[in-house]
Amino acid sequence: MSDLVDTAAGLAADSPVALLRRQREAFVRYTQGSHDVLITPADPGGLSLIERAAAALRVAAIGRDNALTAHYRALLRALGADPDALDAPDVPPRLAAILRHVTLIATAPGTVTPANLDALRIAGAGPRDIVAIAQIVAFYQVRLVAGMRALAADLHA
Amino acid sequence: MTRRFTLEPVDWAAWMPPVDPATATPRQRAALEASPQRDSAYFLTLAHDVDSLEQRSPLFHAVMYAPRGLPRADRELATVVVSIINGCVYCSSVHARRFAELTKQPEIIRRLYDEGLGTQLEPRQRAIVDFAARLTREPQAVAAADLQPLRAVGMDDLQIHDLIHAVAMFANANRLMQTLGEPVSG
Repeated sequence: MSDLVDTAAGLAADSPVALLRRQREAFVRYTQGSHDVLITPADPGGLSLIERAAAALRVAAIGRDNALTAHYRALLRALGADPDALDAPDVPPRLAAILRHVTLIATAPGTVTPANLDALRIAGAGPRDIVAIAQIVAFYQVRLVAGMRALAADLHA
Repeated sequence: MTRRFTLEPVDWAAWMPPVDPATATPRQRAALEASPQRDSAYFLTLAHDVDSLEQRSPLFHAVMYAPRGLPRADRELATVVVSIINGCVYCSSVHARRFAELTKQPEIIRRLYDEGLGTQLEPRQRAIVDFAARLTREPQAVAAADLQPLRAVGMDDLQIHDLIHAVAMFANANRLMQTLGEPVSG
């Protein structure tokens, strides 16, 4: 069965790299599992599904991954949110604070300070939400998908 | 805060109170049991979001220790390179020591620290360092041509698959370590 990595990397279910991935069953299961509990958890706690999808979209866009960007844009639309409105002046202050933090972790993780976590707390994020934001940004799919694409190109050449 | 890359053990201090082991839920306890160091401030911090820790700990374990495929020392070398690029002093210390234990070649790590990633290396290590750096810095620029140096030193498909996962996993590990707390002198 295809998962998000296959889909984003353009791997058909019977392609060499998709079959290679299935030699590492735990990698596949917990990669998709991480995505599922971070992006579409049954109990999202204090971090809404829209905030989660918006954070993931920002990471995919910063990573310039077109397939993942399209995936998260579609997810946001399915949640009733406009993916083009995330940088609008009237974006809710809490979402703006989350996206500022997301951008910082994605682009310059070594510059994050305790004051950045304070800003999230002031915006109403609790410990679970703060960890979940870090996990969403840190989730390794941008580089994983890019690597699988290169491997597929090499095997199909 | 300590900022120097080192082969010595480093400690890590959380920026918010970690989960208290005495009041952890059964799910948090189980997820911590499956983590490399269940009592560390780092994993007790990640346990605030037990859903993601339940997935991440077995993922991390599989990527670093799954049998066959890429030799463990090669996985450790790749994670040190990613950690140097991202500036994660804690991660580089842990995995530099793992590499040195496995290979008895701590001088490789010292040269990477002191002379940079361009330091002279034997071909297999050179290929791993270059690929790890490329996928970390410019993921969308990585193409089939970037795999040729890995092929040239004899890596098969599964080994390259494993290398990609090790590099990607440390985009994750570094960011968690660097943005939820800081390294402190051990």
